[in-house]
This record gives sequence, structure tokens and C-alpha cells, in this order.
Amino acid sequence: MIVLLFTALGLVQQPAPRTIAIDERLAADAGISIGDRVIVSTRPNAKGGDTVVVSGIVKRGADPSEIARSEYKIRMHLDQLQSLAGYGDRVDRFAVATRDKAATESALAAINAAAFGFEAHRSRDIAVGTSKTFQVVSRFHKAIGLITIVASAIFLLCVMLLKVEERRRDVAALRLMGISRTTVVKAVVAEAALLALVGSALGIGIGWAASQFINWYYQGVYRTPLHFSVITADIVTLAVTLSLVLGIGAGLLASLRLVRTPPLALFGR
Amino acid sequence: MRFTLAWASLRRHGTRTLLAILGVAVAAAMLLDMVMMSTGMRESFRELLLSRGYQLRLAPKGTLPFDTDATMESASRITATLRTNPSIVTVSAVLGGTIHVPTGNRVVTSAALGVDPAVQGDYELLSGRDPVGSNSIAANDEFLAATGATTGDTLDVATGYDPQLRTYAGSMRLVLTGRVRFLYGAANQLATVMRLETLQKMGGADRTDDASLFMIRVRTDAEVEAARAWVELNIPDVSAISTATALAEVDKRLRYFRQLAVILGTVSLFVGFLLVTTLVTVSVNERIGEIAVMRALGVSKKHVVQQIVIEGVAISLAGAIGGLALGLVTAKYLNGILSSFPGLPSAIDFFLFQPKSAWTALGLLTISGIAAGVYPSFRAASLPIATTLREDAIA
Repeated sequence: MIVLLFTALGLVQQPAPRTIAIDERLAADAGISIGDRVIVSTRPNAKGGDTVVVSGIVKRGADPSEIARSEYKIRMHLDQLQSLAGYGDRVDRFAVATRDKAATESALAAINAAAFGFEAHRSRDIAVGTSKTFQVVSRFHKAIGLITIVASAIFLLCVMLLKVEERRRDVAALRLMGISRTTVVKAVVAEAALLALVGSALGIGIGWAASQFINWYYQGVYRTPLHFSVITADIVTLAVTLSLVLGIGAGLLASLRLVRTPPLALFGR
Repeated sequence: MRFTLAWASLRRHGTRTLLAILGVAVAAAMLLDMVMMSTGMRESFRELLLSRGYQLRLAPKGTLPFDTDATMESASRITATLRTNPSIVTVSAVLGGTIHVPTGNRVVTSAALGVDPAVQGDYELLSGRDPVGSNSIAANDEFLAATGATTGDTLDVATGYDPQLRTYAGSMRLVLTGRVRFLYGAANQLATVMRLETLQKMGGADRTDDASLFMIRVRTDAEVEAARAWVELNIPDVSAISTATALAEVDKRLRYFRQLAVILGTVSLFVGFLLVTTLVTVSVNERIGEIAVMRALGVSKKHVVQQIVIEGVAISLAGAIGGLALGLVTAKYLNGILSSFPGLPSAIDFFLFQPKSAWTALGLLTISGIAAGVYPSFRAASLPIATTLREDAIA
């Protein structure tokens, strides 16, 4: 009876451990689940530290700046982290919610006019700054895309030239039957356009499948919900337009070259 | 004879051959770039890590050097412990921090390193003197441009702010003694260097004996891995990182680029192969009758196959040679883009040219050229002579 009383008194007097939330990556890797007690410290192997209870598991945000860093994150109460880290009453940043765009601008100007040792930034500007990794990768992809377009243009021109030259005799026969050069050119260009369209449709399908695979693979590798590859209407329009322009251009060049040759020469006479 | 016939066949359709060579050149350029990228960044990073002869680095437990703001306490105790190991030749302690330099009506914020100039492995002096004095500072070009300061100038430098009192914390007046280039600095990063003790003192009581990193040079005849294991055993609150460990981490972080290199390299090779195959196949189809006549005259199957394979290889080789030059130009351009990758030293070359890369690209293209000619040549050489001649005559 006495023991129970003391135990009960002890439970009442001892403050309940504070709570923290951990990210799903840490929970999975360390095998921690909600309700577990863990010791947190700011130094490795340090004696002491705070015993806390895991009260939540947080889904990781789609933040490009964290992609290459395999960090774990925990969320604590501000005062607890300040005391644990010996930070006093300091903070690293404040998030300020404003009513509208005008209020944001005036708050920004007012804070920066009075500030000493800190600076206010728009959330949008911070987002741009922290996504520099992806900006560099995006510029790199654009450069690779340009090289790919040059290679595709040459490939397409070569194939069209071969296709048209394969039909030298057909074209010669058509010309001898009285079909005009314009009609022959139009027929070849129409064929090239059709080829480009069918190729584009196939390319969009392959691109979509590749995009799905890329997202599935890299979301798994980097354990993030971020979308690495997105196919938008603009991208599809650009790809189809480029393909059509290149296809028609290649068909036109090849057919013009063919119709300028006399029909008998096309027959090899 | 075979070479003459192959040459004549390629010349007969000059435009077509030229276009194919151009197509292969672009594919070869891409292939070379991707081969360079898949191996270059690793090699470049390895060279950078070993450029000053330090084979081991110590960082706060569980982190990589300067990956976080964490520091190691009792730097002098760690240095003393390290010096007890006879295989360790040099220990260079480094503290990282941020400094603020008021210039006119604005404040320039810059990265700062505290080092021992006698054993430092972080920068190279471009002009002036090392910051050997306790009131000296040296800076890179970006810092000098941002502050407008020149060697010999005196700067008021602080490590923090006290917003309530509106004063600077950890202030010191330092003399700019030299212009330096940081080996591990990111692109456009403002950076300065001073004595370790100076930065520790400016950091206040919390940083009196802190270090962010230790660089260790091990005797050349000693085992680096053994030294690494010894450090982890004797100083348990640090992570000892050898060059191999650092490279493995870089490999992990830049895995995306290596995978991209493999994918794009394979696609380039396939496109080049497809182009040569298409061209050779069409060319052979056009010359079916001619090939049948050669066979009827007694030319062997082997001769026909060899002639057609030579055509494919010739296109591939001509394209590859042009592609190698084009590849070096595009590699320089692409490297310029990736050198601004956040968190990586700008000195890393993503596209490092090594003769091995050029030979690999050339070898792969030659193999693809041979493979491209094999099918059409066998098909042409295996055609029944009489039937082919009759069909060609009717056509």
C-alpha cells in the first residue's frame, strides 16, 4: 500500500516527458513508432540529454533543397530546443503570415527598415533560392535537350532522304505520267508530316511511360514525394511542333532534290 | 580493293554519307560527354581531395565536413590525441563560420575559415601574404569585389549581431593581407580566412576551443584505413572520413548524374548504330544487282561482307573523329552549367577529359559500326545469284 502510494506520488510529481514529431524516414530507419521514448541531445555520445516521447510521424515535404541530403528531421517545441542547444531566447527565423500582397510588401519594407542583424524575405524568393539545385539541373537538361534536337533533326533528314531516294523510280514514273512537281512535293511532304505525327504520338507515349518510371524510381531512391518528371501540355506542344517542323522540313528538302532531277535520270537512263 | 570499292560506294551518295557522318558525330559527341561524366566527376573530386596530401578528414559525428553547422569541442585535446599516433604526420584544424563586414550603408556577409596557415590545405595564395598574424585576414576575389577592399585595407569584422542593443557581436579590426583562392569553395561564394585562434576568439565563449574539421596527413608508408580505424576508436565523438568514404558519399549524392550518363550514353550509341544500319541497309538494297554481278564474277561472300562492313565502320569512324572534337566543346559548355551546382566545390570537373574516355567512345562506336554492317552484308552475300540478277534485270 505504501509502495503504491509513493509510486503514485512519484508519477504525479515527475513532469511528463515532452513530445516530438519525427519524419517518416527516421521512423522507418530507426524502427521508432508513436509512443516510443527516446533521448535527444545536441552532441553525439553526450551524457544526459532530454527524454521525449514520439507523438507524431511527419510526412516529408517536396523540398528540392533536401533531395541530395539524406538527413533526418525532428520537430520539437521551440523552448525545449532552445534549452537543449543552449540557444537562450534566439531563433533562426520567423514565419509571418500577411493578409494580402500589399500587406506583404509593406511588412517587408517596415521590417527591413527597422531590422538590425536580420532581413525579411518573401517566401517566393526563398523558394527560388533553395531550389537552385533544380535550376542547375534544369539548365543542364535544356542543354542536353538542345543536343538531342540537333541529333534528331539530322537523323530525321537522313531517314527522309533515304525514304525519298528509295522511290526514285516511282517518282520518275509519276513525273512521266504528267504528275506535276508540286503534286509530288506535296505528296512527299504530306507523308513526312504523317510520319512525324505518328512518331510524335509514339514518342509521347514512350515519354509518359518513362516519366512514370523516373518518378517511381527517384521518389524511391531519394524517399521524397517530389515529382522529378512532369509532362505538361506545353512540353507536348513543343515536342509535336518541333517534330512536325523538322519532319516537313526534311521531307521538303529531300523531295525538292528529287523533283529537280530529270525523270529519265531517276530511271538511271 | 575492298577499301576502294567501299570508298566508291560511299562517294556515290555524297550528301547521304555526309549526313550520316554528321548524325554519328553528334551521337559520338554525346557518347564521349557521357563517358566523361560517368567517370570524370569522381576522378576530379578524388584529385581535389588529395591535392594537398591530406588523406583523412574528421567531422562531427554523423556528418560530412561542413555539411552542417555542428562543431567539435576541445579541438586542442583532439589535436594532442592525434599527434600521439606515429603514422599521423600533420594535423590541420579548421573552424568554419560566418562574418559580417559593414561597408558604408550595407553589410557584406561572408563565409570564414579559421586555420593554421602553416599547415592549411584549404586555399592557395594568389597575391600578398598568408594571414599569419592574429589580426590578419585574407579573402577571395568575390569577397574583394563585394566589399571593394584591397590588400592592406583594415576591415571591421563581426561574427554576429545583438539585435536588442543594435551592436555587432565578436567584433575585431583585421588587416587584409592577401588574395586567395579556396580549393573547396562553391561558385560565386564570398569567403575569407584567418587564424584559427582569431575566429575562435571572435565566436565568443561557445567557440573558444571548437573546430569544424580536422585534416590529417598520414605517413606515406602507413595504412590510411588503419589510421582511420585508430581515430574512430580513440576519439569516439568524431567521424573519420577517408578519401574512399568521401568518394562513396559523393557517388551517392551524384548518383543521378551517373545514371543519366549511362542512359544518355546508351541512347546515343543506339542512335548512331541505327543511323549507320539504316544507311548501309538502304545502300545495300540499292546495289543488290551490283553485288549479284560481283558474286557472278567470282567475288567471294567474305569479300562482299568485308566491303559492306568497311562502309559501316568508315562512317562510324569519320563521325567519331568529328564527334570527339564536338564532344570536347559541348563538355566545356555543360561543365560550365554544372560547376554552379549548390554545395559542391566549383573546382570539380563533371566532364573530366581522360584519354581512356576517348578510347572507350571510339571503341564503342567502332563496334557499333561493325555490328551495323554485319546484318545487311550477310543478307546481300547470301542472296541467290541467278534469281537476284533476273529480278534486277526485270526491275
